[in-house]
Amino acid sequence: MAEAKPEKLLVDGRRLDGRRPDELRPLRIKAGILKRADGSAYIELGKNKILAAVYGPKEMHPRHLQQADVAVLRCRYNMAPFSVEERKRPGPDRRSMEISKVIREALEPVLFLHLYPRAVIDVFIEILQADAGTRTAGITAASVALADAGVPMRDLVAGISVGKVDGTVVLDLMKEEDQWGEADMPVAVMPRRKCITLLQMDGNFTPQEFRQALDLAFKGVEQIYEAQKEALKEKYLPSLEEGR
Amino acid sequence: MLFVENRELVVPGRLLAEGDYFAGEGTFLEGGKIFSAVIGLAEIREKSISVISLQGRYIPRRGDRVIGIVTDTHPFGWILDLNSPYTGNLMVSELVGRKVDVFREDIGKFLRIGDAVLAEVREVDERWRVQLTASERGMGRIRGGRLVEISPAKVPRVIGRKGSMLKVLEETSGCRLEVGLNGRILIRGRDLKKVNAVVEAILLIEREAHLSGLTDRIKAKLEREG
Repeated sequence: MAEAKPEKLLVDGRRLDGRRPDELRPLRIKAGILKRADGSAYIELGKNKILAAVYGPKEMHPRHLQQADVAVLRCRYNMAPFSVEERKRPGPDRRSMEISKVIREALEPVLFLHLYPRAVIDVFIEILQADAGTRTAGITAASVALADAGVPMRDLVAGISVGKVDGTVVLDLMKEEDQWGEADMPVAVMPRRKCITLLQMDGNFTPQEFRQALDLAFKGVEQIYEAQKEALKEKYLPSLEEGR
Repeated sequence: MLFVENRELVVPGRLLAEGDYFAGEGTFLEGGKIFSAVIGLAEIREKSISVISLQGRYIPRRGDRVIGIVTDTHPFGWILDLNSPYTGNLMVSELVGRKVDVFREDIGKFLRIGDAVLAEVREVDERWRVQLTASERGMGRIRGGRLVEISPAKVPRVIGRKGSMLKVLEETSGCRLEVGLNGRILIRGRDLKKVNAVVEAILLIEREAHLSGLTDRIKAKLEREG
């Protein structure tokens, strides 16, 4: 944190880590890595390391929180104390509670919650290491974990952030760009129908830049969507092929 | 038009078919197209398409045979845990098969908390309240045996095509099996070693449910150990 702002975030069309403006950080997704959870996923996006676990649908306790006609989705976004450079005080705070809420709202539209009235589905997103864009990476991992748990869904949800550094619209901000850039806009999408389920913005975009940023986000989401599907197939396919 | 092959692995949101097809289990319709709702294997049967889920909890359906565990009592019966998001309700009369005057008789003599019960789902209403019945012969309180719990999605493999796997398990070990569709399986047998072998075999089936030729492997394994 003590580092000073670099003079330039963009040199000759290359970013601090050598990426072009429209490039993602290295992405790796793995499905089904926790034995105790009904479904789980692990994602690495650049230096982000995030674990997502899903429990349910299961009976909702306390009973008064049950909904008579649909299942309830509960999300918890939590940062590990060691996930950032300065130790984070553990436990929920204003930021993580808000992020938990927007993540829930980003995932709800894809789930067939009316199939499980009175039940609850718990989603836990644990940030092990943070480097900007954790809420969108968390959504990406959580939707893989939901699919891994066998929860019926319309589609997966893929998320990515876009932003502006040194006046240029860039995809997938890393920490330095998030910190010193001019804008940061996390976007989550249901890729099949191109429906946006989360859109937040911090900073300033002109209307043109906003359109450009959104287009870039959709491009990024496509790549993430493919990686999500690959991760799910990777877990289930080897065992299927073996049997043939 | 079809967009998948039979027995192909599909993920949620995958387009399966368009037009003149019937959307079966594990799928959903959107704008005249059929998509997969779960991760599983696409199953095409003539004009109907469904996805056999490889994961997921047990959801009670009428007619299912299940093994429940008593978690609570009420004046007229018991609440059973079904290894599902929904609990089952078993009335005294549905257990003993006759009218019971709960003011004269103490129903505690029939079942206690913690007992395992072999039952059938009699009715599931629109609020997913589950009514059970256990008055048929061979049903009711389980008096002995070994209970194993596996993932409900893997139960069909333990039964096998037309009960083939179940037949192998029973015949090669001499044990009797009761399979609850909610993933609980009861094994009854005199020879403890053979019961253990069957437990091992069932856990193996759960781990390798997707592999073919499993029935033969299980048979060989049981014959070797028994």
